Amino acid sequence: MTTPATLDSIEIEALVTDRYLDALLAAAERRPPDAPGDPAPDPALDPALRSAALRLRDELVRVHPSFRFEERLARRLAEAAAGMRLATAVGGEGTLLPFPGAALDTARPVPRRPLLFGGAVTSAALGLAGAAFVAWRRTRGAPTDPMARAIRLARAARAVRDGTATELH
Amino acid sequence: MFGRGRGGEAAGAAGRVVPLDPDRSLVTAAQVDPARFDALYRKYLAQVYSFAYHELGNHHEAEDVTERTFLLALDALPRFREQAPDEAGPEASTFRVWLLRIARNTIANQRRTLRRHPATRLDAVGEAAAPDDPERAVLARADASAAWAAVARLPGDRRRAVVLRFVEEMSTAEIAGVLGRSEGSVRVLLHRALRTVARDLGERGETP
Repeated sequence: MTTPATLDSIEIEALVTDRYLDALLAAAERRPPDAPGDPAPDPALDPALRSAALRLRDELVRVHPSFRFEERLARRLAEAAAGMRLATAVGGEGTLLPFPGAALDTARPVPRRPLLFGGAVTSAALGLAGAAFVAWRRTRGAPTDPMARAIRLARAARAVRDGTATELH
Repeated sequence: MFGRGRGGEAAGAAGRVVPLDPDRSLVTAAQVDPARFDALYRKYLAQVYSFAYHELGNHHEAEDVTERTFLLALDALPRFREQAPDEAGPEASTFRVWLLRIARNTIANQRRTLRRHPATRLDAVGEAAAPDDPERAVLARADASAAWAAVARLPGDRRRAVVLRFVEEMSTAEIAGVLGRSEGSVRVLLHRALRTVARDLGERGETP
């Protein structure tokens, strides 16, 4: 069973070990290839732990992948990066820039659906108004504006003069 | 290199100085232009591969994990934010810690897949050990040292802590970031791991 006292002692021992490992690995970086590179340990450090740490430092080495794998993955990453650049270029990850002098509230949600409905209603209303105007123009008699009346009179006078009409309105 | 880390104003106000991410300029360049990710890839390839290899004990599986780790990292890089340890706790991250955390998760997924769908490649027939069993994998290697075998027999996080400390030469704080634990807990993990390795070597007649 772990009591608070034993927990404290483990933590203290762990701190001592950690300090030794810091010194050991730092010394390994600085030392010439054949030098032992073992820093003076804290007397509180268990000699068995110290020996185990020295062996692990010497025997645990980094493993490198093959050159062929390295270059193949580099090409794959370059292709993926090119795809990301393309996506950015077409605006996939673009941001809105404020127009000088205008406040840009990007936090406000864009009212997509109301705008769509508004556009549809406006379009239908314009269509109905157009149809009503055409119908009105067809049911309406001769135009009443002065220019149209003058043209009509001139045409009628010419018809009388030519004898093609019997009545002058 | 030391200074106040990004987002570390609170830590700065308390008078603490936190280490800067030495990869900050490379990360910023890659965030602007993904083609510049190559520099980070070349720098950390061996570390990610080595970590995966020590965990899985198989070159093919280590290559798969390495490939997926870097592709995930490239994809997620625009969302990466360096965080000072004091503010973020276990989420504290430099690029290296963030990358190895992705590697750790990818290795865990690979293990789950291998357990569900065990498969043997023709070119891996000579490797007697199962890829999700690091102890057997290491013991199967003719050149495996006694110390190596002792590490492979350690349970999960103790083994990972030893590999990150001795092979990747990470600090306790960095290992805490990768494993998602506190620094104190990582120190105790390492201490217990060393004690186990020392006992193991002693029992097998090896000088620890």
